[in-house]
Amino acid sequence: MSGDGRPPRIELRGVERIYDRGAADEVRALRGIDLTVGPGETVSIEGPSGCGKTSLLNLIGLLDTPTRGEVRWDDRPVGERTDRERARLRLERVGFIFQRFYLLPTLTARENVELPMRALGLGRGERRDRATALLTEVGLRGRERAFPHQLSGGEEQRVAVARALGNRPGLLLADEPTGELDLANTEAILTLLEKVRADRGASLLVVTHNPSVARRARRHLAIQDGRIVGDVREA
Amino acid sequence: MRLFGSGGHLRHQRLQTVLTIAAIATAVALPVVLLGVGGGVSSHELSNLQNAGYQIVISAAGLHGIANAHRLTGQLLALPEVAAASPVLSIAVDAFPPGKGAVPSLAEGVIPDQFAPTLGPTEDGLFPQPLPLGDPTDLVHYDNGTYAGPATYDVLVSSPFAQAYHLAVGSTLGLAPVPNATEAVPYSVTGVFGVPLGTLGQTGAFALLLPLSDLQVMTGYARGAGTPVVDAADSVEVAAAGAVSTEPGALAALQRQIQAMVPYYTVSTLSQQAAQLQTAASVLTGFYLALSSVGLTVGLVFLALVLLRRVESDRRSIGIRRALGLPPRAVVGPVVAEGLAIAAIGAVAGIVGGIALVDGLAAWGSGAVQEAADLAIFVPATMAELAGAVVVLALVAGGLAARSALRLDLLEALR
Ligand SMILES: Nc1ncnc2c1ncn2[C@@H]1O[C@H](COP(=O)(O)OP(=O)(O)OP(=O)(O)O)[C@@H](O)[C@H]1O
Ligand SMILES: [Mg+2]
Repeated sequence: MSGDGRPPRIELRGVERIYDRGAADEVRALRGIDLTVGPGETVSIEGPSGCGKTSLLNLIGLLDTPTRGEVRWDDRPVGERTDRERARLRLERVGFIFQRFYLLPTLTARENVELPMRALGLGRGERRDRATALLTEVGLRGRERAFPHQLSGGEEQRVAVARALGNRPGLLLADEPTGELDLANTEAILTLLEKVRADRGASLLVVTHNPSVARRARRHLAIQDGRIVGDVREA
Repeated sequence: MRLFGSGGHLRHQRLQTVLTIAAIATAVALPVVLLGVGGGVSSHELSNLQNAGYQIVISAAGLHGIANAHRLTGQLLALPEVAAASPVLSIAVDAFPPGKGAVPSLAEGVIPDQFAPTLGPTEDGLFPQPLPLGDPTDLVHYDNGTYAGPATYDVLVSSPFAQAYHLAVGSTLGLAPVPNATEAVPYSVTGVFGVPLGTLGQTGAFALLLPLSDLQVMTGYARGAGTPVVDAADSVEVAAAGAVSTEPGALAALQRQIQAMVPYYTVSTLSQQAAQLQTAASVLTGFYLALSSVGLTVGLVFLALVLLRRVESDRRSIGIRRALGLPPRAVVGPVVAEGLAIAAIGAVAGIVGGIALVDGLAAWGSGAVQEAADLAIFVPATMAELAGAVVVLALVAGGLAARSALRLDLLEALR
């Protein structure tokens, strides 16, 4: 049982996200977002700091719900689903590489990578094999037993990438997945993401400031001030 | 999950964890000690009652005791259903071993040939037979209440007493009702008796046995010269004859018959006393449990607070687990497991510590504390129930903490 890694069809209609609504310092992070991402699409997202890129990924990745408007997964409004169902979808179908990594400090690199697989009910051997393969691919062979505080920023980021791929997700959300990496590692990670994506026909949304990362996508979104100001598809 | 290991959950708040374990251990040790010692003492008392060589006791409610003890004994012995009637008078006296100062001792005055048949199986062989206290009926000295007959001046001493002061048959021991050597009357030691473990306190271990009339006269002197001696006893133990002793109906009839003879005294059978004792013991047990549950509650409230605090400090980790989509069990499992581990360690430490404390008191305590500790009984089922109760309450505490962990706003928790 390896989860249901089908790529979802995602639609956002009139989505707004306002943080701390009603407070004097409320933040309108997203406004009037209309967006459809079909299964298997690769999308880069660019925009200045604070424009709402992470907020957008959180909504698409079912971590958050919109203040106004509707987010649909496979034509079903996610607002209709319970917390438990959304959690199940995240576990089975989403691979989220968080901007801030979000590794668990009390678990080793290997345990961090195996954690979602364990929750999916994968057997011990299968978990070990997948984790070993992923950690090897991100260049962390031999560092499996290190705790996050014993890793460099770039190493932590690579553990986060490995963890996001263990469930063989249909939707990959990568929030600046190479922000901490040098050129060689960036290439390695991008190659890995592309390989996993292509294997499963998964969708990939990647937030990045790096042109060489953006170039690998077939569709390019530009965001400014919470609005989509550019949406270019390559032929 | 590692608890204490490198980077383990409990490590960053080790002091808090240790304190919580200590609080729970203390809370558990309290009932272990109370129930162990309390249960041990009352079951010992019960077995004493059940193993006694007599079945009926006459006692007096007030301070004055039972008057005319010798005459009452005679009347009781005249009943065909009575095998023995043994008046007993217990008074603290001062003993003066050769070359020593006053030693506080507990003196028991008895009628020798009546005392022996009331001894139970646990006292078998502790006393020399027949009791070497001169006149077996004690009627010569008593002489119909005149005390004009010759006193025996015989005394039996307990083996701890004999050992402590190098007394043997033939030694002389001065006895007085007050700690004043000039009032001491010389008695001759005619025997040594054993003391069953744990029946008597420290003073009791230094026990003396002498004829009832000798003790009455000796302590009667304390009331001033010329005052008539009162023929008093604290109680009269009655052993029923033959089948009457084992047949409840016949025993009850005998009890009523004796009660009619002494309407002012309390006449009870040992089985009634045993029932009373059991009631008292269960009331006491209930009280111990109530007391302990207060302690336990405090310990577990402490645990709940610690777990909630930890949820607070593990907010981010909980948020991450939830963000990954882990099921609630995997999110709060560590929190609950931690609470259970703390509670289980605390419970085991409390049980082991409580037993060790009682063992320590039995080995190195003094006086009544040591005697009581020696009798303690630790019922495994009770200990298991106690540990079970702690674990269940810890689950509740962990559940509360878990609930609050799951209620955190997800983005809030991730910040
Ligand atoms: N949980 C939150 N509560 C309040 N305000 C928030 C919250 N998360 C984000 N914001 C605000 O919303 C706006 C958009 O934030 P977001 O994280 O989506 O930006 P971003 O495009 O990802 O920026 P960056 O490139 O720096 O990561 C910012 O002004 C930010 O301060
Ligand atoms: Mg961001």
